Amino acid sequence: MLTIGLMHYLVVAAVLLCGGIFVMATKRNAIGILMGVELVLNSANVNLIAFDRYLCRAGIDGQILALFVIVLAAAEAAIAVAICVNFYRVLATIDVDRATKLQG
Amino acid sequence: MDSAVNTIMSGSEPIGRQLLLLSPLLALVATLLAVVVAPLFAGRGVRPVVTVVLVGLVVTFLAVLRVTGEVAHAGAAGLLAERLSGMLIVDNLSLGYMFILLVFLVGVMWLWWTGSAPTEQDAPEFFILLLGSALGMAMMASSTNLLFIVVAMETASLSSYAIVGFDKKNPVGAEASLKYVVFGGISAAIMLYGISLLYGLCGSLDVAVVARYTLEALQPGGANVIVLTLGLLCFLAGIAFKMSAVPFHFWCPDAFEGAKIEVTTWLSVASKAAGLILLARLALTFCAAAGNQTAIPLLLPLAWVVGILATITCTYGNFCAYKQQSVKRLLAYSSIAHAGYMMMAVTVFVYVDPQRAPTPLPGIGALLTYVVIYLFMNLGAFGVTGLVAWETGSDKLEAFTGLARRAPWLAVPMVICLVSLVGLPPLAGFIGKWWILLALGATGGTLGWLLVLVMVLNTLISLFYYMRIVVRMGLHDTEAGPVRPPVRGVVLVNVCAAALIALFVLAYPLKDLTDRFAQALYLPVVSATQDGKQAVVSGLPLVSDGYVENRRPSE
Repeated sequence: MLTIGLMHYLVVAAVLLCGGIFVMATKRNAIGILMGVELVLNSANVNLIAFDRYLCRAGIDGQILALFVIVLAAAEAAIAVAICVNFYRVLATIDVDRATKLQG
Repeated sequence: MDSAVNTIMSGSEPIGRQLLLLSPLLALVATLLAVVVAPLFAGRGVRPVVTVVLVGLVVTFLAVLRVTGEVAHAGAAGLLAERLSGMLIVDNLSLGYMFILLVFLVGVMWLWWTGSAPTEQDAPEFFILLLGSALGMAMMASSTNLLFIVVAMETASLSSYAIVGFDKKNPVGAEASLKYVVFGGISAAIMLYGISLLYGLCGSLDVAVVARYTLEALQPGGANVIVLTLGLLCFLAGIAFKMSAVPFHFWCPDAFEGAKIEVTTWLSVASKAAGLILLARLALTFCAAAGNQTAIPLLLPLAWVVGILATITCTYGNFCAYKQQSVKRLLAYSSIAHAGYMMMAVTVFVYVDPQRAPTPLPGIGALLTYVVIYLFMNLGAFGVTGLVAWETGSDKLEAFTGLARRAPWLAVPMVICLVSLVGLPPLAGFIGKWWILLALGATGGTLGWLLVLVMVLNTLISLFYYMRIVVRMGLHDTEAGPVRPPVRGVVLVNVCAAALIALFVLAYPLKDLTDRFAQALYLPVVSATQDGKQAVVSGLPLVSDGYVENRRPSE
């Protein structure tokens, strides 16, 4: 019988991290990139909570930080989506490759 | 002095005193809330909002003055201990940054009043975002805990993303804010992953514990070095984004060019300085953790990382500034280069003589002096660019043609600011660079002298592109008629230029002042971790000559 341990959670987090970085690197759609950001943030959350659970330290700093990260991710998503909507209103696209007015 | 520190440390101080030490931040929050509420009673006009903000800033300034007196009295006043879970620190460094921030806020408001106020429909929202980012930056300068660093950086960043795209009808602004939010989101996520690794290794979010753990791991035969390095580098990436250090600078020129000029000015100084003060605080914490002198050479690799980052940053910034046609964008690259110079000052803290106790004072003093001078240089240079852009409708280099004839009251301060940005005497920019060079040279190490060389070479490189603007203003001419900017704008840029001359003359008084803010800093010291249990954190005040005294862990 396989027991789930710290390493399993860390592997899940690492897979989420790699997936997130892959998404951020390949997506041309701004919303897609932000989804990649969410994946990386959640991999950090998985790490934090797994470390808290398995390493038996005094305090629950990691879980508190994970809660903060959830709130901050929501706030960031709200701002980012508002900016995407604004970009769409001006250029009728959210393809980041079309954002070419500022270069040099 | 020592007793005052320890009583706050143990949390036995009355809540009133803790509130007093927090009052600058609380006053800033109150101002922010007042700006939210004010339109309900006084309408959405510019005048009531500006009145509320100015009153709030004066109150904040008085609070900072009061707390500075309090901290000077107590030596180093720490808000650590159990009650605030070691989140915040109020010491001379964070107070010094608060002074700079408040002066700069008033300067940016003046610029906004000149350019945008007459047509502004959304003044309350603009100031909510501006004060929100100011609050985040002030928190960054005070934070000693990874959780609080994350919250502070996000507070600063989220407001900054929105304020860059504040002009909703401007397509360039929309693009700038999109790029800023995408890069910002990515770097924040990477930073958080790094923090989660650090937490797993160190078992605490306290920066002092992380520093202690790093020193133990860096010793020969230390464990988990690779994971630790990865965590630290990811964490550094987040701070490098705020400082716009290469290779995390991609947002900087675009966001700066697309934003309104007041916002560009604001971000170019306040945001970078907040990142630098945070980096300085981390470096100090690492130095303090290396209190037993044999450990200090172990910090050299970290100093080299920062030094190499600084070298790449200023060289890249200076070379990219060459081919720019937009003066706003050119100044954005110049601000990247200056972030590199300021990062060099941070390496001084780490690069110390192993035979002596850590003496971080020269680096901190030089950094604070540079930030003060940089504030006036950038406010002046961006101010003139803004005034020209508002009058002629273009911030391209061509718009500056013949400015010496068309608007001598703009051309003269612009020349002063640009020469000061190069760092030539007799202007204050020279003083800023000079103190950093002296501090670097005084370290006497390879890294210090290499950075001196890099800085001198970069100063030479930067001379040419700054002079392009000067030549364009003075030696070329055009058919275009005179530029007539608003008087209040002309006053602002000339005040900045006068300040640059005055600060050159008053170089030593300025140095004395910043040195006063660079002493009695609060350095948390962590005793060695015992069998993975919670480490003991204690205060370590530094006296003015830089030697450590009264190292006494609290029980």
